[in-house]
Amino acid sequence: MATPPEPDTTENSLFDRAPCGLMRCAQDGRFLLVNRTFCQWLGYDAEALIGERRFQDLLTVGGRIFHQTHWSPLLEMQGSISEVKLELRHRDGSTTFPMVVNAVLRMANGVKVQDIAAYVARDRDKYERELVSSRMKLQELVTESKRLHEEARDRALFAEQMIGIVSHDLRNPISTIQMATTLLQRAALDAPQRSIVERVFRATQRANRLLVDLLDFTQARLGGGVSTTLQTIDLHSTIREAVEEFALKHRGRLQHVTAGEGACTADPNRLVQLVGNLVGNALTYGTDETPITVTSRVSPESFSIRVHNFGPPIPSDALGSLFEPMTRGTTATSAQRSVGLGLFIVRQIAQAHGGTASVTSSAEHGTAFEINVPRTT
Amino acid sequence: MSVAVRNRVRVLGNGKATLVFAHGFGCDQNMWRLLVPTYADRFRIVLFDLVGSGGSDLTAFDVHKYATLQGYADDVLEIVEEFASAPVIFVGHSVSATIGMLAGIKAPAAFAGHVMIGPSPCYINDDEYVGGFTRADIESLLDTLESNYLGWSSNMAPAIMGAPEQPELGIELTNSFCRTDPEIAKHFARVTFLSDHRAELPQLTAPTLIVQCNDDLIAPLAVGSYMQRKLPNGTLRVIDNVGHCPHLSSPGQCASAMDEFMAVQGW
Repeated sequence: MATPPEPDTTENSLFDRAPCGLMRCAQDGRFLLVNRTFCQWLGYDAEALIGERRFQDLLTVGGRIFHQTHWSPLLEMQGSISEVKLELRHRDGSTTFPMVVNAVLRMANGVKVQDIAAYVARDRDKYERELVSSRMKLQELVTESKRLHEEARDRALFAEQMIGIVSHDLRNPISTIQMATTLLQRAALDAPQRSIVERVFRATQRANRLLVDLLDFTQARLGGGVSTTLQTIDLHSTIREAVEEFALKHRGRLQHVTAGEGACTADPNRLVQLVGNLVGNALTYGTDETPITVTSRVSPESFSIRVHNFGPPIPSDALGSLFEPMTRGTTATSAQRSVGLGLFIVRQIAQAHGGTASVTSSAEHGTAFEINVPRTT
Repeated sequence: MSVAVRNRVRVLGNGKATLVFAHGFGCDQNMWRLLVPTYADRFRIVLFDLVGSGGSDLTAFDVHKYATLQGYADDVLEIVEEFASAPVIFVGHSVSATIGMLAGIKAPAAFAGHVMIGPSPCYINDDEYVGGFTRADIESLLDTLESNYLGWSSNMAPAIMGAPEQPELGIELTNSFCRTDPEIAKHFARVTFLSDHRAELPQLTAPTLIVQCNDDLIAPLAVGSYMQRKLPNGTLRVIDNVGHCPHLSSPGQCASAMDEFMAVQGW
């Protein structure tokens, strides 16, 4: 520690009239020198401080604890301390001044002294307190927002679980209706009765498909994807059977085209479900009486299923989200439409096979949905 | 996470006994820098930072674990287990003296003795008991800490302060001592200054030296004599020092009090 030159501390010197409080204290804090600015701020005569009081005596109790536990050891170890904010009490005891304080440890006349500079920082104090209170408010908001987010997530989860439970439990009564309707169809009925039974039967089929979709949806959302049972199948005959289910009712509109040898590994029930969803859509949204083509294709690298129809194109801004749940490519209302899970499940089935689902749509070429599954084995 | 990283443990020195040094509130292991050279040639020395202070891993700070001093005491036991070899003398400053006491009560076999520098089992006055502070005083401290973000985290180098003449501090050494997150400092202040462990004093049976300063705002004389009365095996040494950190301001007196105590114990 070098010895600095003795400061000019005479009355009206720069030291005395500096625009900040300047003082020199002994190692224990006792005042050795103090300037007029500092004395005037705190209402003391220099004589009342020098030799009579210690710097820390002017602090609030909290400030004194801080001074003893942080300031002093830090100054001792580091030789200086900067930008510490302390409340200094006026002599009258009623007012305190927030001051920013810097201190340096020096040798003067062979003993350690602390040179201290301080300035009143009311605005900074006010500003910092506002910062602290804003931060506290912000923390409260963040906590509240987290809580709301968790609540919303819990509610969504509950709703999805509820959908799963309800659709599962509805399957039994619906299959009872379906069986009863099938039996009724065999009975001797007159024409109006037969027409009614026929409508009940079709409505029950739709309800059943809807339930299967809902169950797959909840499984995909809660269980991380639809389940598959993979086996070696002949793709072409699986798809042909699926197409034939529709061909009975829509004779002439549906055609099945194959390419390549048919052997591949897949879940046939899922593929039938997938074709059902896509052909159902094609029948709903395609132009009446135009052909719907289902193509199954197997190559050494992959297999694919493509369903094509003619009709008004899907708006290009809707294409991106078409495979999301509760999305429809058209705003037209239709008695045929479902809740919008069909394409979501198509993509889920494609992904469960390690493949992808895609769509192209234009006025000129019509609309084609395709799933493509790489053959890894 | 390793204990070594969590508490930035440093081991040095050689000797049959181990001195474990624990810093107090507001500082870190650097505060032992004047005492360590005195003992490094005779003792194995273990230095560490309490979690939330100095160079400890701040991500290890858990408000629930460290809601009481016992959380810190449990860390001390892990440090002693991993880095110290018996006999172990625990040297704790201020609140760390209490932390050492709690560790010693939980695992008496781990410690041969305790040195308490400026300890206080309770900082707040209570009927006859003089701790030195009122609850309002402690609230005022929390307020000082709250509005003193830069006081904890300022990075201003001594050179900028017009004090480049200190040879032992390289110019690259900025304000790297005793820094901490102001929020953690406030939490630790609350846990420290609102703690009351007077009831546990009679349970610490190991030989204990109380190093009491004759002028210490944080631990007044009355606290030192109270502790000596309550500790079953306590020795009180009052040294001539103003302030709460005699190991920095009067290292010689601290060392001679410790030497005398340890010589009596045969360490």
